[in-house]
Amino acid sequence: MIHFYHVTKKFDRYSTALHDVTFHIEKGEFIFLTGASGAGKSTLLKLILRQMEPSEGQIVVNGRNLNAMKRSQLPLFRRDIGMVFQDFKLIERMTVFENLSFILTVLNVSPKEHKKKAYGVLRAVNLQHKLNAYPLQLSGGEQQRVAIARALINDPLILVGDEPTGNLDPDLSAEILQIFADANLRGSTVVLATHDRELIRNSGRRVMTLDHGRIIDEKVAVPERPASRDTLFGFASS
Amino acid sequence: MAREFSRLEEPKVPSGTLTYFLREALRRIWTSKRSSFVAISMIAMSLFILGTFMLIAENLEHAVAQWQGKSRINVYFETDATPQQIRAAEQILASHGELARRNFVSKNQALDRFRAYFSNVSDLVGQIDENPFPASFEIEVTQTYLQSRAFDAHMNELRRSAGVEQVQFDWEWLAELRRLARIINIVGLIAGVVLAIAAAFTIANVIRLTMMLYREEISIMRLVGATERIIRGPFIVEGMLQGTIGGLAAAALLYAAFSTAKQMIPPTGSLLWGFLFSTFLPWQKVAALVGGGFVAGWVGSWLSVRERDDL
Ligand SMILES: Nc1ncnc2c1ncn2[C@@H]1O[C@H](COP(=O)(O)OP(=O)(O)OP(=O)(O)O)[C@@H](O)[C@H]1O
Ligand SMILES: [Mg+2]
Repeated sequence: MIHFYHVTKKFDRYSTALHDVTFHIEKGEFIFLTGASGAGKSTLLKLILRQMEPSEGQIVVNGRNLNAMKRSQLPLFRRDIGMVFQDFKLIERMTVFENLSFILTVLNVSPKEHKKKAYGVLRAVNLQHKLNAYPLQLSGGEQQRVAIARALINDPLILVGDEPTGNLDPDLSAEILQIFADANLRGSTVVLATHDRELIRNSGRRVMTLDHGRIIDEKVAVPERPASRDTLFGFASS
Repeated sequence: MAREFSRLEEPKVPSGTLTYFLREALRRIWTSKRSSFVAISMIAMSLFILGTFMLIAENLEHAVAQWQGKSRINVYFETDATPQQIRAAEQILASHGELARRNFVSKNQALDRFRAYFSNVSDLVGQIDENPFPASFEIEVTQTYLQSRAFDAHMNELRRSAGVEQVQFDWEWLAELRRLARIINIVGLIAGVVLAIAAAFTIANVIRLTMMLYREEISIMRLVGATERIIRGPFIVEGMLQGTIGGLAAAALLYAAFSTAKQMIPPTGSLLWGFLFSTFLPWQKVAALVGGGFVAGWVGSWLSVRERDDL
C-alpha cells in the first residue's frame, strides 16, 4: 500500500529530514511511527500525502508512483487518504459541521447525507455537541478530535495520523486509538506517528522508529502482560 | 467497509457543488462588502453610460421609424424670395402631375411650427426681430416616382428656378438621423466596452484579494483532495454575481433616470421631447446590458483564478 525506496528528503544543504529510508506497509496494516522530536516523522507522512516531494528515491502509494504523478491527479489521489495533521488544519471560518461537510462536498457525497455522516463521526470522537462551534472556540484536544473526525468521515483507504493523540489525556487517547483500530478493521490501512510510548507499548502492532531521519528499529511491540496464547510460545507471565 | 477501489474519474458536478459555490460566493461578497461594492459600482457605472447612449440612439431610431414611409420633398426659398419667384416655382410643380400634391408653407407658418415643436426654447425665438425661416413647398410623392428617371430631371429644373435656395428630400435627413443613431450606438459601445474592461479588471483584483485572504484555507482544501474547480468555482461565481448585480443596478438606475428626466422636462408634444423620451430600451437590450455585466464579471474572475499558483 505504501512503499518507500531509498527516500531522502533534504530541505536545504544543512537539514536532511530523511536519509535513505526504505520500508513497505501492506494493505490493511496498522503501523506506529515513533522517534524523538525532529526525527522526521511528519516529513515522512507529508511525503505519503505528497504534500512535498522527495529529494531522492521513489514513493509508491496506493499503486501510484508519486514521483510521476501529475498535479492534476493529486486531488483524486488525496481523496483516498484521510490525514490527521499535526496542526489540525481546520478551516477557522467554518463551523465544525461545515468543516466536515466541506470534505463531503469535495468527495461528491450528496448533501442529504452530510448531516448523518458528520453526526456519525462526531459521535465517534465524542463531540456531537460541538456541531456548530467554530474551531477557535474549541480546546486543543477538541480541535484534534474534529481533525480526526474529518479524516475518518469517508472511510479512507489509508488513514494517516500525525500525533493524533498529542493533545489528549490517556483515557481519551485509548478511546481514539480504538477508533483507529475500528477503521483498520473496516479495511483502512493505518499509519500513526506518535511519541506516546504508553500507547505503543501494549498494542502488539508493528512499530517503526526513526532517529535523525533514519529507520533505526523496526519491530512488533510486545505486550507487557502477554495474553494467554503468548505463553504457548514460551513468554512467562509475571 | 472502506472502499476497495479508488475512484479514477471525477463524477459530474452534483447539485451539491453548485449550491456550495453559490453559498460560498455570497458569503465572500458579504465578508468583503467594501471591495465588492467598489467592483459592483464600477460595473454599474460603465453599463449605465453604455445604456445612456443606447437609450438616446433607441429614441432617435424610434423617431426615424415613425417618419419613414412618408416620402416628402421640401422646396425651400431664399428668405428674400419674391412672390413672383414663388409663383414661377409653383408653375413648375403644377406642370408635373407627380408633384401635384403640394402644400405651401409661408415664412410665418414656418416660424409658428418651429415654436410649436420646440416650445421649450421658443422664448429665445420670440426675441428675434427678423423671421429667419424660409417659405417652402412640401410635396408628397410616391416611391415609384422617386425611382423614375423623370425625378432627377424635375429636381434639377426646380433647383435652377430663381429664388429657390435648396430642394431637400426628407429621406436624406432621415438617413442622417439614422447615421447619427448608429454613431451614438458605436460611441456608446466603445465607451461601454472600455469601461467594462476596466470594471472586469477591478473585479479581477477584488477576487485576487479575496483569494489572498483565503490562502490558508485554499491550501487546506488542496490537501484534503479538493480539485481546482471546487476551489476556484466560488470565486468565479463571486465575479459573475458581482457583474450581474452591477448590470441590474445599471438597468434600474437607467430606468429611474429616464423616468425622472421625462417628468422634469414637461412639454409633451414638442418634437425634441419626442426625440428623447418616446421609449425606454426594449427588454432585449436591457437583458443585453445585464448580460454584459455578467460577462464582465465572469471574465474578471476568470482572469484572477486563471493564474496557476499556490495561492
Ligand atoms: N519546511 C521545512 N524546512 C526546513 N526544515 C524542515 C522543514 N520541515 C521540517 N524540517 C526539519 O526536518 C526535521 C524533521 O522534521 P519533522 O517535522 O519531520 O520532525 P518530527 O519527527 O515530526 O518532529 P515532532 O515530533 O516534533 O513533530 C527537523 O529537523 C526539522 O527542522
Ligand atoms: Mg511532527
